[in-house]
Amino acid sequence: MMPGRGAATSPRADEVFAALADGTRWQLLNALAAQGDGTATTLAAGMTVSRVAVVKHLAVLDRAGLVKRRRRGREVRYVVRPERLEATARWLASIAAEWDTRLAAIKRIAEAG
Amino acid sequence: MVPDRIEREISIDAPVERVWSVITEAEHIGRWFGDAGAVIDLRPGGRFSCTWAQYGTVLGVVERVEPPRFFSYRWARPNGAEVQSGNSTLVELSLTPDGTGTRLRVVESGFRDLDGTDDTRAKYAEENTGGWKSELAELATYVARQPV
Repeated sequence: MMPGRGAATSPRADEVFAALADGTRWQLLNALAAQGDGTATTLAAGMTVSRVAVVKHLAVLDRAGLVKRRRRGREVRYVVRPERLEATARWLASIAAEWDTRLAAIKRIAEAG
Repeated sequence: MVPDRIEREISIDAPVERVWSVITEAEHIGRWFGDAGAVIDLRPGGRFSCTWAQYGTVLGVVERVEPPRFFSYRWARPNGAEVQSGNSTLVELSLTPDGTGTRLRVVESGFRDLDGTDDTRAKYAEENTGGWKSELAELATYVARQPV
């Protein structure tokens, strides 16, 4: 039997959701994932928003633990940190799995009646 | 994008009225949801609670009741907590006739709005120690469905 309110909350899941709720940040994350890494300047080049805006969005992603900063000389490069994204996906998957179990039980009871 | 909701659906070989009874009557809820009884006041604002012998009681509040097609409620984290701002998610159950049977769809949403201190998070993690095996199998399917 599944626990009452079973699913574990992934660490800072709310921050992850908030960080990903923005289309620009989602775009940035995908660009970083595709390119391996990037700076605010290289990332802004491929987008419709300013470099300043990109810096702000990267800071939000950084606080949510979704990207990592690497300073190389005067340059700050960003890479994706997949762990939290994966933890959040796992958390949602666990909630979905609980519903599958419950729906199957509803089906059994309804069809038996 | 990582969604702030999960959606699940199942086909049931029983009429919508029958499925409606199963999802809204305490006698049944105590079986498919909990394992040690349930109480429900089936009207908007009505209280809802469901008990597991091992894990305690979950509290909720009924939101919408539109027999026999739609039923929704909010439920709180962690077990035993009253529904308040920042601690609950919304569960919406929709029933659609499908021949002589029923399509039952569930949407749970609002994970983004859960506050959760690190303490309560640690508690959820403890509550979940048994659930990880099925999760891992589910992950592959779930992640594959993400519109990335």
